[in-house]
Amino acid sequence: MIELNAVTKRYGSTNAVDHLSLTVQPGQITGFLGPNGAGKTTTMRLILGLDTPTSGTVTVNGQPYRTKTAPMQEVGALIDPSAVHGGRSAYHHLLCQAQAGGLPRHRVDDVLDMVGLSAVAGKKVSGFSLGMHQRLGMASAMLGDPPVLLLDEPVNGLDPEGIQWIRSLLKRFAEEGRTVFVSSHLMSEMEQTADHVLVIGRGQLIADVSMTEFTQRSAKSHVEVVSVRAQDLIPHLEAKGAQIANSTTHSLTVTGLDAAEIGAIAFEQGIPLNELSPRRASLEAAFMELTYESVEYRTHQGSASDAPNVQEIARELVHERTA
Amino acid sequence: MSTSTLPIHDLATDKRPGFDTTLVSEWTKLRTVRSTWILVGLAVVLSIGFSAATALVIGLTSEPIETWSEADRVMSDPITSSMPGLLFSLILLIVLGVTAVTSEYSSRTIRTTFIVNPHRMRVWGAKVIIVGLLGIAIHAIAVPGMFLASQAIYGAYGLKTASITDSDAIRFLLVAILVVSLTYTLISLSFAYVLRGTASAITVAFGFLFLTSNLALLLPEWFQQHVLRYLPDIATNSLSGFTPTDSVLYLSPPAATIVVVAWIGGSLAISAAVLTRRDV
Repeated sequence: MIELNAVTKRYGSTNAVDHLSLTVQPGQITGFLGPNGAGKTTTMRLILGLDTPTSGTVTVNGQPYRTKTAPMQEVGALIDPSAVHGGRSAYHHLLCQAQAGGLPRHRVDDVLDMVGLSAVAGKKVSGFSLGMHQRLGMASAMLGDPPVLLLDEPVNGLDPEGIQWIRSLLKRFAEEGRTVFVSSHLMSEMEQTADHVLVIGRGQLIADVSMTEFTQRSAKSHVEVVSVRAQDLIPHLEAKGAQIANSTTHSLTVTGLDAAEIGAIAFEQGIPLNELSPRRASLEAAFMELTYESVEYRTHQGSASDAPNVQEIARELVHERTA
Repeated sequence: MSTSTLPIHDLATDKRPGFDTTLVSEWTKLRTVRSTWILVGLAVVLSIGFSAATALVIGLTSEPIETWSEADRVMSDPITSSMPGLLFSLILLIVLGVTAVTSEYSSRTIRTTFIVNPHRMRVWGAKVIIVGLLGIAIHAIAVPGMFLASQAIYGAYGLKTASITDSDAIRFLLVAILVVSLTYTLISLSFAYVLRGTASAITVAFGFLFLTSNLALLLPEWFQQHVLRYLPDIATNSLSGFTPTDSVLYLSPPAATIVVVAWIGGSLAISAAVLTRRDV
């Protein structure tokens, strides 16, 4: 079990992690989601004792990481697969880690075999492709056969085959009963693998829910209504329990009623409709909505006061998907 | 590339990680990159080669020793004159001390190092010992090599020679092999832990261990006596017998020992303090 208790990490004047408390439960895959710059990597580094929190405490199985006697047998980590000395062979890269952890030499052969790099074990790492680096990083995380795995953006930059490979590994780790804490900025990655989701934005926890709940919450549909008399329709819809999420002169975004119900109300009131279309939000869009406020670097010009735009963006995204 | 399952791991076969396992790991890190061996090779070949070449030039240009004045005979020192190659071995010791540390920062493998072994003092201690021993090993080949090659050439030209069994020669060789090597290697290593960049650490270490003492010799005597002789490289010269006892730069052996130990110990202590406190 990994626990963060009111952890703040300050770099200069910004809080990369801001009063963050979270628990990663054992024996399941916990997805750690957030936009780039949300503090995911910093959190991973705090857990692994690479960074010291400005305040708060971080423990792994009840102990700060830096006090562990045999960390490799407890925790395996993949945080930066390109962090290798190019002049060293894959075998030696793993050997010095195994030796530091007191692990027998044959573990190096075992994990090389596991990730399918045995054939290039003696080759210098500088010649490795991105996917091979990822495999090597995974091999190094598995050296001590740890029950807990921390993986920071394991699919970042991988080709479809590599992504598939990481997915199958995650599933296998879960089947083996390992605790997996895996970060990603891609919601779609988590849909298929995670049991639980932690969402972080601007260093703060936004959501801590099971995958099922997250799916239900985000699968909430809404209906787009376009009518020249849209404003006249609002009170009648609200009287039937609808929420108007967004409205302009001629269009409404309605939740709480389905398209058939809205159509019936409009008919009763004699209000002509130009368009009546149910929209189903994807997980991706829900995730974007959830984290929009907390995105640190945005390509759009504009400030937080433009925040309602999120629905626009989310809607566009859904449009594209359903189109 | 296919994926096979991982064999069940028997934890009972693991050794308890400790300082011994860290030492083995640090040695593997150092020995498994080719640059280490290029560095060792260059240090040995360049230092011995340069000393031999210098001895050859001395031999070719010197009058036979019978024609020398008594003063010249006393002044000439076949031990220290055989050591110009130190210029190369010392530069390469600086590079060794610096790159053994900074290569981990530039490749970012320092994070892996501290993930598999979060006890930073243990990693630091193992690094100091392994790099220090390699520094000693380089000088254990280079320094006697320079000495023996030069004496052989001096002998061939009928010049004054020293024997490796002379007490002055033994003192010089021992100090150069054990003390000078550690001074240069470990102070450079300390700078590297503090600065973390190869270029900056080499520049600072080179400036501190070479240039300050060489350029500062142009400064007034007061400055030499009260500042310069307390610099680590100048203090080692007093220990080795390179600095004459009547020089303003001379320190007695106990004083010189304290100065050298304080510089090495102090810089190592700072590097350890920085390493254990800073984020990596």
